[in-house]
Amino acid sequence: GVAGGAWPRVAMEASELWVGFVGAGRMAGGLVRGLLQAGKVPASNVLASAPSDKNLDAWRELGCRTTHCNLEVVHRSTLVFLATKPHILPGVLEEIRPAVGSHHIVVSLVAGVTIQTLQRLLPPWTKVLRIMPNLPCVVQAGAMVFSRGSNAGDEEAALLKSLLSSCGLCEEVPESYIDIHTGLSGSGVAYVYLFAEALAEGAVKMGMPGALASRIAAQTLLGAAKMLLETGEHPAKLRGDVCTPGGTTIYALHQLEKGALRATVMDAVEAATNRACDMAKD
Amino acid sequence: MSVGFIGAGQLAFALARGFTAAGVLAAHKITASSPDTDLPTVSRLRKMGVNFTVSNKDTVKTSDVLFLAVKPPIIPFILEEVGPDIEARHIVVSCAAGVTISSIEKKLSTFCPTPKVIRCMTNTPVIVREGATVYATGTHADVEDGKLLEQLMASVGFCTEVEEDLIDAVTGLSGSGPAYAFTALDALADGGVKMGLPRRLAVRLGAQALLGAAKMLLESEQHPGQLKDNVCSPGGATIHALHFLESGGFRSLLINAVEASCIRTRELQHLADQEKISPAAIKKTLLDKVKLESPSLSVASASKVSLFTNKSKKN
Repeated sequence: GVAGGAWPRVAMEASELWVGFVGAGRMAGGLVRGLLQAGKVPASNVLASAPSDKNLDAWRELGCRTTHCNLEVVHRSTLVFLATKPHILPGVLEEIRPAVGSHHIVVSLVAGVTIQTLQRLLPPWTKVLRIMPNLPCVVQAGAMVFSRGSNAGDEEAALLKSLLSSCGLCEEVPESYIDIHTGLSGSGVAYVYLFAEALAEGAVKMGMPGALASRIAAQTLLGAAKMLLETGEHPAKLRGDVCTPGGTTIYALHQLEKGALRATVMDAVEAATNRACDMAKD
Repeated sequence: MSVGFIGAGQLAFALARGFTAAGVLAAHKITASSPDTDLPTVSRLRKMGVNFTVSNKDTVKTSDVLFLAVKPPIIPFILEEVGPDIEARHIVVSCAAGVTISSIEKKLSTFCPTPKVIRCMTNTPVIVREGATVYATGTHADVEDGKLLEQLMASVGFCTEVEEDLIDAVTGLSGSGPAYAFTALDALADGGVKMGLPRRLAVRLGAQALLGAAKMLLESEQHPGQLKDNVCSPGGATIHALHFLESGGFRSLLINAVEASCIRTRELQHLADQEKISPAAIKKTLLDKVKLESPSLSVASASKVSLFTNKSKKN
């Protein structure tokens, strides 16, 4: 997704964009890697803050600038990503509030903190957006959804989408979908890891060495996902295409159906989504 | 062309009804025979204008296409009885689940060197001309013979030729399939009644829903999974319901059912090949006939396996 003629005119050229990160953990690191690799923003335009140097070393290696001062990030950036842990955020917002102006675009990556809460803790003129990424952003194969707050307009949404498409799939959604995204894709990555582990374990049981089995399991998931994304076909159809009559696949699928795998997966997505809703209320 | 049915039960009735309703055959061109005149279907066949006789031999003599519409364990006896009257011109069509072409050809070869045998598997909705039929042609049946049968069966639903080794699977799927559907419909109606609908309306609506869905699928290029998705609005009623179905292992139950029916069909075939028949499998009148005409067969010492149940009209 590159910003081109189809998108609303972007308020600023990406190369002029000063991007700040309050919090420099894994998720923030994944996003910045995507931005840098896609050439969206020069590293020298990126400033990240964190309480300790532990995370900041990696940022410096990328060519980004670092600080221990959150206010400095806000002063020197136009696009500010909030990437702290949820319980830290209120304190951080109180700290940076005086420095937030109408020119800022504040994008929160913080799980469970609603746009309403963000807007309540920031000045009323603030352009706020909320994004829920997932872990594979760190390898630029993420799935991200974002929603805009009251003051964020088409230009801000287009800018965010254009920047973050470098990290994977990035779609704007109503805020009510964000918890669902958590259940589907935020936590969903873990379901896939579980499935991959089980696949490999089955292979090991049948006599294949574990390391090889794991690699093949991962590649199988990758390949299947790639086919889904690239063919645009319904997964049921792709599944049917693999099932020769009376063959190995249909025998295996029968086992999966006996185990009510589908319902269990639906239960998982539901449980994670509900939990995300409950946590947001806290 | 004249068509004959050895057997005047549910299958003969369903096919005769279907053929006449489709207009491919006049009732008086159809003959059906059975030693048991008390069957409810006998009077229904008569009312339709079908020629009814107690003599299987008469049926053979007056027919070009001869359907063996009896239960699988009876087939060997029928073949013994009418074998001498089978000529090269006859097309013998067996609808008996699990009975192989080779077993029929073997039995008939003592009487006729080149019997034309076709094996078919159909289902009860032929009665409303929405049957599902497959057939496989035997050694001496020509392409035209198969096409003739196909024309007949296509008048009462879907009909296609297959390799014989798939017929057991077809039995499991579409042979028994209407029973799965009736069970589902009964339960759906219960659900409707539970939520306040009068029973008759619930049955009517449930049946129409399945009919409509089946029709959509047959007329659509889309995968049933896609069609399902099209009905499921996000967070809506249908997806909630589907989750329940999945939790109950709905899909695997259906797979199990088709598998069980197919496997059982093969078992029955195996038992039939060994000619083990329990007395309970044969009606009394025929049993007496059997004792008279086939003294070599040992019925008393047969296996305890019941080769058919009253519920299963096909097997």
